[in-house]
Amino acid sequence: MKDYFILQFKMLNRQLTEWGIEPVIGYILGLFAFIVISIKLFKETQFAEYIYIALALSLVIKLNEVNRNDFLKLCYSRKEYIKIRIFENLIVSIALITFLLFQEKYLSSILLSISVCFFSLIDLKNKSSYTLPTPFYKHPFEFTVGFRSNYFIYFFAYFLTFMSISVDNFNLGIFSLILTLLSCLNYYTNSEDAFYVWVFSLTPKEFISYKLKNIIQYSTILCLPIIISLSLFFYTKIEIIVGFQFLGYLFIFTTMLAKYSVFPEKLNIRFGIVFALTLWLPPLLLLIIPYLYIQSTKKLKEILQ
Amino acid sequence: MISIENLSKSYGSKIVLENINLNFEKGKVYGIVGENGAGKTTLFKCIAGLEKHNGAINCEYGKPKDFLGYLQTEPYFFSKITGNEYIQLLCNARNLTNTDLKEKNIFDLPLNEYAVKYSTGMRKKLAFTAILLQENKLFILDEPFNGVDIHSNIIITEIIHKLKEMGKSIIISSHIFSTLNDTCDEIFLLKNGKIIKRVLKEEFSNLESEMKAFTIGNKIEKLNLK
Repeated sequence: MKDYFILQFKMLNRQLTEWGIEPVIGYILGLFAFIVISIKLFKETQFAEYIYIALALSLVIKLNEVNRNDFLKLCYSRKEYIKIRIFENLIVSIALITFLLFQEKYLSSILLSISVCFFSLIDLKNKSSYTLPTPFYKHPFEFTVGFRSNYFIYFFAYFLTFMSISVDNFNLGIFSLILTLLSCLNYYTNSEDAFYVWVFSLTPKEFISYKLKNIIQYSTILCLPIIISLSLFFYTKIEIIVGFQFLGYLFIFTTMLAKYSVFPEKLNIRFGIVFALTLWLPPLLLLIIPYLYIQSTKKLKEILQ
Repeated sequence: MISIENLSKSYGSKIVLENINLNFEKGKVYGIVGENGAGKTTLFKCIAGLEKHNGAINCEYGKPKDFLGYLQTEPYFFSKITGNEYIQLLCNARNLTNTDLKEKNIFDLPLNEYAVKYSTGMRKKLAFTAILLQENKLFILDEPFNGVDIHSNIIITEIIHKLKEMGKSIIISSHIFSTLNDTCDEIFLLKNGKIIKRVLKEEFSNLESEMKAFTIGNKIEKLNLK
């Protein structure tokens, strides 16, 4: 069991190194960021407690992956397996449980600890063959895969739009639009298998245009319910809505270019820093987009030769 | 159709392929055999342009990748993409609009289900169907019979014969000698990154016995099974 956790620790360190972060610095910065964000979250919203519970449970459910657990069952005895599962579930949720205790949310932290242990004992096998339909079947894959993995985010975003109209809060509506656009952007943060680029009979420029067309077309489909609703109920602020939508396209496009500028490697922490800078100062995109475009065409040329 | 001249590939100081010279003609089926790690998949990736290499690959039609159907040993599938969408994606990549997938689904795959839920053999059949619908001129099939049921093996063999008739070139790697015997016109033996032997159809039976003797040797005795 000890060997298993040492191996997991090594794998985590390797992942951090791959992202361009020195593991020790990563842990210190991670802990610091967690404390700062947690304090702010509990100060700003009354729902922080529930957000923490949901976050802890989602992490635990993610660990309850069938193939992974089947592998562990094959490797270890039943007793060892349960011990491993309890420990790893506690490890991923310990920071959140501790902070709940620190905030004197005793009942939540106890219930969460029990739930986390309970999830170690059950297998969440999805035997359903249901396929979620999407409007993106003509040009797979980013939006088809992304929508099926994160469809609940869109329902939540549309609910927020509805709430923003109900309570006459335009900022909340804009937040729902940003949430939707960020979710679309997330589809372009992971590098796909090189085969899925290689297979295209396109030049790098044509390939980028094809991807850009998909971004505009499909993110518009997802944002349209929000844009229409907000435009109808906050029609005096239509320029702001259009402005955010346009910025959204630019940020998704930038992320797509960033991905292909280092392809087939994964995006690293440097992109995170540059991205944060552009969020803070969007005009920087005017410099970054041409640079990333040149880099992407160079990288894509190697694969699409 | 495609000729390979002095193709070499190294990873750092490790030479994986050394001075490979091959010529693939239209309407012929070629087999590449070799032990695990001999360099078969690397050679395929080099031909496909997925790996950088030294040496030249000359094609009659231009860039090989634009008319090449590459069936990988373990095709990669996105977590939530259906069989239909996978085929659509590969056809889009070649600017083809495919209709009537139902009719063309000869392996009876559940195309509306997520591909990751398919068994190993079904995944292989899906990837094979997709490259067939791409209307390619050259095919590289890296272990096409692995994990596939016996009925589908028969269909795959017949498809290879049909492609040959149509004047397409096919390069196959397989660890099941009988499948190569049934389909290939020529077999190349790859060892430690070099083509050490070229065998024509009439000499296939000798090759099988040679390979058996050479591969097995006294290895089983060394195991000292108890």
